[in-house]
Amino acid sequence: MEHLDELIAAHALDGLDADAAEAAEQHLAECPQCRMQLAEYRSVAAGLALSVPQAAPPPELRNRILAAVEPVVTAPVVRPAERARSRRWFAAWPRSAAIAVPALAVVVAALLVWNIALRSDINSLHSSLSNDRTATMAGFGNVVAQPSGTVKIFASPSAPPSGKTYEAWVITPAGTALPAGTFSTASNGFTLREQGHNGDVIAVTVEPAGGSPKPTTTPIAEAHI
Amino acid sequence: MSDDTTRSEGQNEHLSDHALLALIARGDRDAFARLYDRFGQAAYSLALRVVRDRELAADVVQDAFLVVWNQAATFDANRGQPSSWILTVTHHRAVDVVRREHRRRADPIDESRDGVDPAVPVDEQAWISVAGEQVRAALRTLPDQQREVIELAYFAGYSQSELAERLALPIGTVKSRTFAAMKQLRDALAAAGVHPEDEWNTSTS
Repeated sequence: MEHLDELIAAHALDGLDADAAEAAEQHLAECPQCRMQLAEYRSVAAGLALSVPQAAPPPELRNRILAAVEPVVTAPVVRPAERARSRRWFAAWPRSAAIAVPALAVVVAALLVWNIALRSDINSLHSSLSNDRTATMAGFGNVVAQPSGTVKIFASPSAPPSGKTYEAWVITPAGTALPAGTFSTASNGFTLREQGHNGDVIAVTVEPAGGSPKPTTTPIAEAHI
Repeated sequence: MSDDTTRSEGQNEHLSDHALLALIARGDRDAFARLYDRFGQAAYSLALRVVRDRELAADVVQDAFLVVWNQAATFDANRGQPSSWILTVTHHRAVDVVRREHRRRADPIDESRDGVDPAVPVDEQAWISVAGEQVRAALRTLPDQQREVIELAYFAGYSQSELAERLALPIGTVKSRTFAAMKQLRDALAAAGVHPEDEWNTSTS
């Protein structure tokens, strides 16, 4: 008991070595008393946090942070399966559509031009707010891409199936998928092992534990950066 | 752009920290902006104290607030104040950074060179200076050896094994000393009428 108290007091200071921190987390997951104790020591530690000399954050930090949670309009990535489906659907169209199709194409082209114009408006608004680019991974989380090329995923997915892991990919415009590391949770932000740049797609797949050199399954989440 | 790029006035101002988090859990960005206005400075000052670099400190705060945004829905109100949580998340990331970067951590901050700004507007952040002074007073009542382990662990990011090495002490001694120091600090705060689990929030002032 005394031993756990020591562990928990040091944990509240983020002072445990990695293996001890893991052991503490495992114990905390099943011990409500120790969680209460930890909360109490964390409050004491928060007091330490407030005792430091106060410094004004850089004014642009506020905009950077708010921009990072702004919903960004991203084009849905068309997955290979959907591409195949849309080809079949198109082939099944009656011949009488031959006239309608070019007309529709004009409308689509006009909408596309409008969309691009709107998108560039949004982009310029964003770049005036922040140098970081943020994209939404629908149903999964957010991707933040920094000008340096550092890419982070923020997401709290449910645990991957046993024996499996989440693997991140940087997909270049040429279509090469670079393995960018495996994770089980990204709630505190997962930094990709590969840099990502404008025009890349960040994707997440479910892979066998340990990860794969190439994606073996269809991505469960994707975003353009 | 909407008014959330400027300091939001009026709306949200009366809401408790808990209420703001509940709104943030539903994706309310104005509430998120308000939460940043309340705790951004405290988080940044903490991060700067630990990582000793303004840009790294700003990155730490950005990451921490994104964690808050993504996890607001899982925040358990029974487990303390939102302020404690935000500062805990910030501290955790700051320590990650110093351990990863192997930064020199024990030197005192050169305030003039690091640009720590003494001219921070105090009106909005008065609760911080009240709480900060209470904690500094409690720390002064600790034996030097206990204060030392707390400061090296919390502000310089030393792990227990690193502390043992630096202080040339058996690991067991470091563990028991850290535990004794935290208990002592908690008791010193209690003796001064401060109960951290109920305090450290903006309504204290």
